[in-house]
Amino acid sequence: MKPQRHLFPSVARRITSACVIAAVLTPHITAQATTPSEPGQHSVPVQQPGTSSRDRLDPYAPWPTARLRVHVIDGRTLQPLPGAEVVLVETEQRLRTDANGYTPWFDAPVIRNPRFRPLVAELHGQLTVIAYKNGYRDSIHMGIRTHEGMDSEATVWMYKIGPEDRRIEPVLYQVPYHHLWLIELVDRFRRNSQLGEGWQDPNR
Amino acid sequence: MSKFRVFVSAAVALGLISPTAAYAAPTVDNTQEPASIRVAIRENNPNGEPDPRGRIVWVQSVPFYQYCEDVLPNEWMPSWHSESLKAGAMAIKMFAWYHHLHPITIDGFTFDVDNTTNFQTFRYLSRQPDTNRAVTSIRRYAYVKPNGEIIELNYRAGIPNDPNWQYRNAQKMAQWGSQYWAQRGRNYIQILQFYYQQRALRQVRA
Repeated sequence: MKPQRHLFPSVARRITSACVIAAVLTPHITAQATTPSEPGQHSVPVQQPGTSSRDRLDPYAPWPTARLRVHVIDGRTLQPLPGAEVVLVETEQRLRTDANGYTPWFDAPVIRNPRFRPLVAELHGQLTVIAYKNGYRDSIHMGIRTHEGMDSEATVWMYKIGPEDRRIEPVLYQVPYHHLWLIELVDRFRRNSQLGEGWQDPNR
Repeated sequence: MSKFRVFVSAAVALGLISPTAAYAAPTVDNTQEPASIRVAIRENNPNGEPDPRGRIVWVQSVPFYQYCEDVLPNEWMPSWHSESLKAGAMAIKMFAWYHHLHPITIDGFTFDVDNTTNFQTFRYLSRQPDTNRAVTSIRRYAYVKPNGEIIELNYRAGIPNDPNWQYRNAQKMAQWGSQYWAQRGRNYIQILQFYYQQRALRQVRA
């Protein structure tokens, strides 16, 4: 029985020394195991808040929403247009503008473009609305920015149909990408061997 | 007394010549806050985005605070911390104020700023409720040199999740850095003090 008592501490000592050698030889693995990467780190794509990994695979999981209202104005006079119908394309919600040209506040989904999701998280969601009003060209407004839990407003310009208009087609306005996200995008894929304009730099 | 001296003293008395021709730097004490600002609208590129190298199409006169409100959501992220937005609102306001005092003429158009990243990204009627609140909250204040001189407050994007010390060395605010410090509990004055040294917060004359 006595030899068994001595065997156990010696095995434990060998395992400990093996662990120490492994830690010395593979410091990157040990560091990863002890310090998990900080959430929201530059290289880590940000997940949609409020959605677990299971929800993201579920096509019926609800999108996070944010409040939105649309202001419809005459593109020439900049006066508000009451009674215009505004359709949110993504959810087919229909709203009508009041006397001041505003739709009521409504819950709109925050949808980030899935093309870029695994590569670079977009900083805001994007939506499309179409505005209709009798006597005006239809207006399509793409790329309306929405953020989770934050109120957003969008202004849609509509143009009156005049006698000089022969070919009447919809008017498109696309919101440009936010410049902060564009800088993120180019810095994400830049090689050190092909800098192009170079990394974001305070001296320029 | 010579005829020339009589002529000069008469001209000074009539206000035709200023007795002191010394240059006085514009300060918050001797300068009114601008009521409006002239924005040069540059041509869009074929994708429909304002082109910093595009031709100037026209110059739009915009009320000063409406200009600040229509710049802030396009320069900062409206979803960012409110103190970061306030720091951004102050930088945008002082940048615009400085350029209002130093207009330029290009291709026959005289203007203060343009609508692209040459100056500050401006999209007409793009203002958002949260960014409007930030602009309103700093409205009574100006961030200037200790003697009140109005200087350009420059800023750049910076690196996310980083204090961006190199931008402090360059005396420019890092936009991502302002969000970094706001998330760590600093208010907008502390953020401005971090990036711009030897400056003072002054109240604007009513």
